[in-house]
Amino acid sequence: MDDSALVERAVGTRDVAAFSQLARLHQSRVRGLLLRLTRGNHAAADDLAQETFLEAWRGIANFRGESSFSTWLYRIAYSRFLMQARKRKPDEPLDDWHESAPSGESATQARIDLERAFARLSPPESAALTLCFALGLSNSEAAAAMDVPLGTLKSHVLRGREKIRSILGDPS
Amino acid sequence: MNDAELDALLAQPLPDMDAADFSVALMERIAQHEARPARILSWISAGLMVVLIFAACVFGASSFGRVDLGAQNVAIPTTLSFLTFLLCYVVTRSARE
Repeated sequence: MDDSALVERAVGTRDVAAFSQLARLHQSRVRGLLLRLTRGNHAAADDLAQETFLEAWRGIANFRGESSFSTWLYRIAYSRFLMQARKRKPDEPLDDWHESAPSGESATQARIDLERAFARLSPPESAALTLCFALGLSNSEAAAAMDVPLGTLKSHVLRGREKIRSILGDPS
Repeated sequence: MNDAELDALLAQPLPDMDAADFSVALMERIAQHEARPARILSWISAGLMVVLIFAACVFGASSFGRVDLGAQNVAIPTTLSFLTFLLCYVVTRSARE
């Protein structure tokens, strides 16, 4: 069953089972995005992911299908992350990359280096690159997910890309 | 690193995350969220019941007041109301479990 049929069931009859299936289908990518944004903090990423899906469940009747369901979820996840980041005290530095975070034994050195490089980007740059490259959204979908104009999204992508290139070229 | 290598690196899929524990925790949170209006309603009902029983007891005691009950005028309704409250609490808790 595809997303739209599951969404229809979840909206029409408040079918928790249909929503549960949607959550299972999308949880990995939402958690992956949040894991990047929280710089590898698994606990914080999973908390935010739970809040994202809970908010999606509460507001699923407002989902009008103008974007794909996954884009809508990424939008909630990103705005949740920003809300939490705003609560952070101004002088409180963002965490460094959490050493425990790379995905187990299978994590290659290149992946670890990449995640460390992502941890040095600003949240909009990190989100823009993750949405456009790792999650395969088009620029306009990513702009919608981040609620920014297309031009702003493109400049986040360009800046983020150049930063990653320079960090990986000179890791110090 | 050239553009193509960088793009390939950035396009690596995010690590796959196990859904089991996450889904269970999420369903619990949704169930709690869904039960919230019923829980609020049950506490309002419990509060109303306590007030009603207290008022009934006070009214009964005052009607019975031709016989002087002394301190029992308040002690009896208070005890009955407290027991009602306790009963409501136990019922609400067991309903949640």
